[in-house]
Amino acid sequence: MKAGDLKGIFKNTAWAIFDIMAAKQKKGRLPKKTIKIKQQAANKEELLIFWLNELLSLSAVKGLVFRKFSINNIGAGYLEAVVEGEDINSYKVNTEIKAATFNGLLLRKSGLGWLAEVTFDV
Amino acid sequence: MSDLTQLKLEKIDEYRFRIPRSYKPGMRVPGIIYTDEKLLKDIRQDKALEQVANVAFLPGIVSASLAMPDIHWGYGFCIGGVAATDIEEGGVISPGGVGYDINCGVRLLKTELQYEQIKDKIKDLVYALFSDVPSGVGSKGDIRVSAKEERQILLKGAQWAVEKGFGIQEDLECTEEYGAIEGADPKVVSDRAYERGKAQSGTLGSGNHFIEIQVIDQLYDSRLCDTFGLELGQITVMIHSGSRGLGYQICDEYVRSMVRCLEKYKINVPDRQLACAPVNSPEGEEYLAAMKCAANYAWANRQCLMHLTRKVFERVLSEPWEKLGMYLVYDVAHNIAKIEKHIVEGKEKKLCVHRKGATRAIPPNHPELPERYKKTGQPVIIPGDMGRNSYLLVGTEKSAETFFSTCHGAGRLKSRTAAIRSIDANALLKDLESKGIIVKASGRDTLVEEAPQVYKDVNDVVDVVHNAGISKRVCRMRPIGVIKG
Repeated sequence: MKAGDLKGIFKNTAWAIFDIMAAKQKKGRLPKKTIKIKQQAANKEELLIFWLNELLSLSAVKGLVFRKFSINNIGAGYLEAVVEGEDINSYKVNTEIKAATFNGLLLRKSGLGWLAEVTFDV
Repeated sequence: MSDLTQLKLEKIDEYRFRIPRSYKPGMRVPGIIYTDEKLLKDIRQDKALEQVANVAFLPGIVSASLAMPDIHWGYGFCIGGVAATDIEEGGVISPGGVGYDINCGVRLLKTELQYEQIKDKIKDLVYALFSDVPSGVGSKGDIRVSAKEERQILLKGAQWAVEKGFGIQEDLECTEEYGAIEGADPKVVSDRAYERGKAQSGTLGSGNHFIEIQVIDQLYDSRLCDTFGLELGQITVMIHSGSRGLGYQICDEYVRSMVRCLEKYKINVPDRQLACAPVNSPEGEEYLAAMKCAANYAWANRQCLMHLTRKVFERVLSEPWEKLGMYLVYDVAHNIAKIEKHIVEGKEKKLCVHRKGATRAIPPNHPELPERYKKTGQPVIIPGDMGRNSYLLVGTEKSAETFFSTCHGAGRLKSRTAAIRSIDANALLKDLESKGIIVKASGRDTLVEEAPQVYKDVNDVVDVVHNAGISKRVCRMRPIGVIKG
C-alpha cells in the first residue's frame, strides 16, 4: 500500500481491508454510523496494527463495514480518527479477516510518500 | 532473512531434520522438523523454516523448536509448530504460539451406519446441515446467551453445553481436558471479547472450518479398530471449528500487551508476533487464564455443533441419534498452550507446551487418558482436505520426544489468494462430484480457497508421523459430504 503521507497510509490500509472483506450488494445511499477511535502505541508500526485490529473488532461487534476514514490527528504513537460504516447486511462478505499481524510488517517512507506492507490472518 | 532454499539442514534420520543453533545467533536450541525428503521440497518454498528458527529464541525453550510435517508459514510460530518452555527457568508463554483461533480443533463422531445404507441420503444430509448449522463469516447462531451465561461457558466449556441439553455426559469423557481446561478466569476477558463471542455459540465459522460426512475406507490396526468400534464402510462425521471472534479478540489484546513485555522483561525475539512474557509473570498468568476461557468457549462450540449435527441426522434419517450410534470418538485441540509435566534430560519438568497447528498425542496408560482409552492411547483426529482423506491415529510412547505432539492436518501449499487466482469453482465442483463428494459452501471463494490442491497430501503427512513413531495409524476415511463456512 502506498500513500503520500502517514495519514494516507493509515486510511488506505484501512480501506483495503474492507475492500477485501466485503462487496456492497445494495444500491443507493445507505444509513451510516459514525464512530470515534483513539489509539496509542509505542511507535507508528504498532499503531498501524492496533488501528487495523480495532477496526476489525468494531466491524464485528457493531456489524458494520467501514468505508470512510478521517484521520484527525496522528503522530508516532497516537491516532485520533472518525470512521463511517454501513450495515454489514447490505454487503456480501467474501473473507473473514481475523487480524492484522506483525508478520513481515513494513512501514516506511518511500520517495515522496509512504509504503506499507501488512500481513493479515484470514 | 537468509535464503531458506539454501539452508543446510542436518539430516538426523529419514524423518527428522535439524536446523543447527549456529544458523542464527540468538537461537537457544536447534530446530527439528519432522518431514521426509518428499515433503521437504515444498517446506522450503515459504518462510516456515525461518519461523522454526525464530521460535528457538524464546526464553526457557527446552530441547528444540519443533515442527510437524504439515508445517507451513504462520504468524509468529509456523503452523505445525511445537515449543515447550521451562516455567521454573523463566520460560515464556506467547499468544503467537497459540494463534488467533484459540482451540481451533476437531472432533470425530462414529455412527452405526454403513455407506450403502445412506448413499442416497447424502445430498439431503449435506443440504440439511448447511441449512441448520450456522456457518459463514460472522455467522450468528440461535444459541444466544446473556453475559452471565457466557461467563459460565468460559468456565465450564463443553460441560455448559451438556447441562443445557446439547449432548450427554459421555461426550465429555471423549473430549480433551474433558471439555474444559481448569484455570480459566472470565474476569480477564474484556467486554469487547464478550461482545464478539455472545452471538457465536454453536456456529461453524468460515475458512477451513467444516462439517464432513465420511466413510472409512482403510483399516490399519484391526485390534484398535475393534476397540474403537470402527469398520470398513462405516460412516463417520468430522467437525472442525474453534473459538470464533472471542478467541481472535483475546489473542489480539494479549499480543498488544505482550509487545510491551519484550522491553519490560528484556526479551529479544526476531519477530514481534512472538511477543511473550514469562509464564510466572502477571501478564503471562493473565494471558493463560484468558486463553483457557477461549479454549473452553471453543469446546462448548464444538459440543453445540455436534448436537446440531445429531439433530440433522435424526431429522433426515428419521431415527434418534442414539439409535444411529452417533457417539463421539474424541475431540482434540490443535491451537493451544498447556502446562504439562514432561521428562527432560531425565528430570520431570513443568513446561508450557505450545501447539500451534499440532495435536496432543498421549500414549497408553497416560494419567490424563479417560478409562476407555487407557489401553489404546489417545485418539488423534487428523483432517485432510475435502477431496482426499482424513485419519484417526493414536498417541505413542515415542511421541515423548515431541512433548506428546503430532501433526494436525494436511498443511497448506497455496495461499488463499493464489487459490482464487488459479482454480475454477465450477471445475472443482464437477471434479468432486465425479468422486462422489457433495459440497455446500457459503461462497465460491470459500470453495476454491479450500480446494484439495491447495493442501499437501495428508497421506504423505501421516506417513511421516507414523513412520517417525510419534503417532500410529488406526484407520483412514474419505469424504462423501462436506459443508464449508
